[in-house]
Amino acid sequence: MTEFIFHQIYFDNILLFIFSSVLILSALAIIVVQNSVYSVLYLVLNFVTASGLLFLLECEFLSLLFIIVYVGAIAVLFLFVIMMLDVKIIETSKDFYKYLPAGSFIGGLFLFEIASLIGNDFSNNPYIYDKIGSYFINTYTNFYYKIDFFTDINVLGQLLYTYYIVQFLIAGLLLLLAVIGAVVLTMNNSFQGTKKQMFFKQISRNSDSILLI
Amino acid sequence: MVNLILLKNVVIIPELFLGLSIVYLLLYGSIVSTYKTYPLIQNVILKLSALVLFFCIVLFYNDKDFFVSKSSLFFNDTIICDYLSFFSKSLIAILSLACILVIKFYLKDQKINQFEYMIVILLAVLGFFLLCSANELITAYLAIELQSLAFYVMASFKKNSSFSVEAGLKYFVLGSFSSALLLLGFSFVYGVLGTLNFEDFKLLYANSLPGNHNNVLFDSSLLQIGLVLILVSLFFKLAVAPLHIWSPDVYENSPSSSTIFFAVVSKLGILVLLIRLFQHSFHSYIYSWRYFVVGLAVLSVIVGSFTALEQRKLKSLLAYSSISHIGYILISFSTGTLEGLQSLYAYIIVYMIAGLCIWSIFLILRLKTFYSQKQNKDLTDFTLLVKSNNIISICFAIVLLSIAGFPPLIGFITKMGIFMSAIESSMYYVAIVSILTSVISTFYYIRIIKILYFEKVLVGNLFYPLPYLESFIIVSTFFSFIFLFINPTLLYLLSYKISLLGFL
Repeated sequence: MTEFIFHQIYFDNILLFIFSSVLILSALAIIVVQNSVYSVLYLVLNFVTASGLLFLLECEFLSLLFIIVYVGAIAVLFLFVIMMLDVKIIETSKDFYKYLPAGSFIGGLFLFEIASLIGNDFSNNPYIYDKIGSYFINTYTNFYYKIDFFTDINVLGQLLYTYYIVQFLIAGLLLLLAVIGAVVLTMNNSFQGTKKQMFFKQISRNSDSILLI
Repeated sequence: MVNLILLKNVVIIPELFLGLSIVYLLLYGSIVSTYKTYPLIQNVILKLSALVLFFCIVLFYNDKDFFVSKSSLFFNDTIICDYLSFFSKSLIAILSLACILVIKFYLKDQKINQFEYMIVILLAVLGFFLLCSANELITAYLAIELQSLAFYVMASFKKNSSFSVEAGLKYFVLGSFSSALLLLGFSFVYGVLGTLNFEDFKLLYANSLPGNHNNVLFDSSLLQIGLVLILVSLFFKLAVAPLHIWSPDVYENSPSSSTIFFAVVSKLGILVLLIRLFQHSFHSYIYSWRYFVVGLAVLSVIVGSFTALEQRKLKSLLAYSSISHIGYILISFSTGTLEGLQSLYAYIIVYMIAGLCIWSIFLILRLKTFYSQKQNKDLTDFTLLVKSNNIISICFAIVLLSIAGFPPLIGFITKMGIFMSAIESSMYYVAIVSILTSVISTFYYIRIIKILYFEKVLVGNLFYPLPYLESFIIVSTFFSFIFLFINPTLLYLLSYKISLLGFL
């Protein structure tokens, strides 16, 4: 039993490293790449690898949600918008080197601070058999595998509809408010008639008569 | 044990009533306003929402659970029900009822005809109610998001004014940034302590004295970073000095009917969350966050007082004066004693009532001039108000003197309470600096009074006659200042009861 778990964890670790390295590289590529279409494609890759990571952590509901919501809806929406927007590729190298020292200094400072704190805080892993922090270890039976019969979505539903019922209602009101706000702020109530397509205008549009922003 | 909604547990019945009435009002408005003649139902919805808020106040006072002397927890300890939440919620309800009644003529003048405006305001008030009774980080976060999302919509509601759109965008970007910081801080706290509940936070540190929090189970440094992030984000929302840049822009550019809500009711809910988290749960960390809070408080007192000297517009002057008032409040917050909490409550109650009075005077004085589109009042628009309307200029002068802290008014007593509590906890330099700065800040209040009374011009401005209900609100708040100075026992008893329950 322990041998099997050990092998499983080892295999998981390889996948974990692959996924997380792809995740970090693609997250870097989102910022670094000049063409914005490529950058959104890297964003899609980022979401897919993140959902793979979540699969490894046995959060299957969250990872499916990631794929459906982020990859299926948001990233594709971004892609459409960016393809429609006709954005020029801007040379940012001058600004990049101008802001590099101060930005990297501040970013590195925060990274160092948080990383050192996290390193201090979680250096004592209670799940590893040790002299100090071994109070969570159970060498005989791993009860987690015994009781883990519920699927993820079942547990989430149980919690949301009973334990967090008030919070669930507040979240519903939040969504209602978001819908009301979006409709109010974008709806045009003036009676100017509907907007129609004008075909000859669209066809006669060429590269000389467009306005580049 | 998991609890469902049971009727005997429903202590949030005013909130439930408010939420259901919001849905009903939305249904009613969206059905009626799409009739063929497109009737304008803004006025009807305004009166209905005032009625809903009145019923909420009745429900607050009807619930006997609020008057029990001990705090009680409901909905799996996520909702707390004590005198602090009861009093803050009823104060917010009363003040927002008054605000809704005051903004009626402004909406008519500015042609803000969409009925959704009132619904967004009611949702913001609901967010404040939930924030006052939140006893858990998730509930608090959702309530903060509810109110701030409603405020973003309210700030950018006047779509044909580019100022208003700019204000809404600025508020949205900066507010969502601070919400992200808040969420990061919450996640650090949850990661270290493993719980979200304020009571559990308190119990984890039940045996440790202030300053002595070397617990064996968890390292406190990550927790301190989380607490600092939470403080920064909440100070962002309160517009404390180094994080205040958004507030005068947003106050000045958004429509005045929204600004009255930002100025009057928005501070109390976030202060209640601050008190619950930092005075109630993490009180043993007081030596970690105290210096941070004191520094920012003194800085915001100084910045608010000195920058307001330069202002020519009344709205931005009041925005900077609210920054310095938040500084005074935070000075007494950082003492961490019962007297400090008591003076905090007394100060915030008087501050909110004075803000209501000033902003309603600002809203109902409608200029009879050629530039009818102008809604942003300069200070010079009030020249010789005493000639055109004597009573309202007396009210205006008295309220300004009360805010500045002149002796025969209630503002003097509350401000003195703040300085006394600072001196009692040995913060002498803080007290001296803030007293001196409050003398400087008196200048711009007195300058307004000089403009009202002693300006050497021959022609003042003409105003429309005041409506009945609004002038009733102004006069009643005006009399409350004098009454509370003659008999401040009411204020002291209320604030003392609230401050006791914060520690029980």
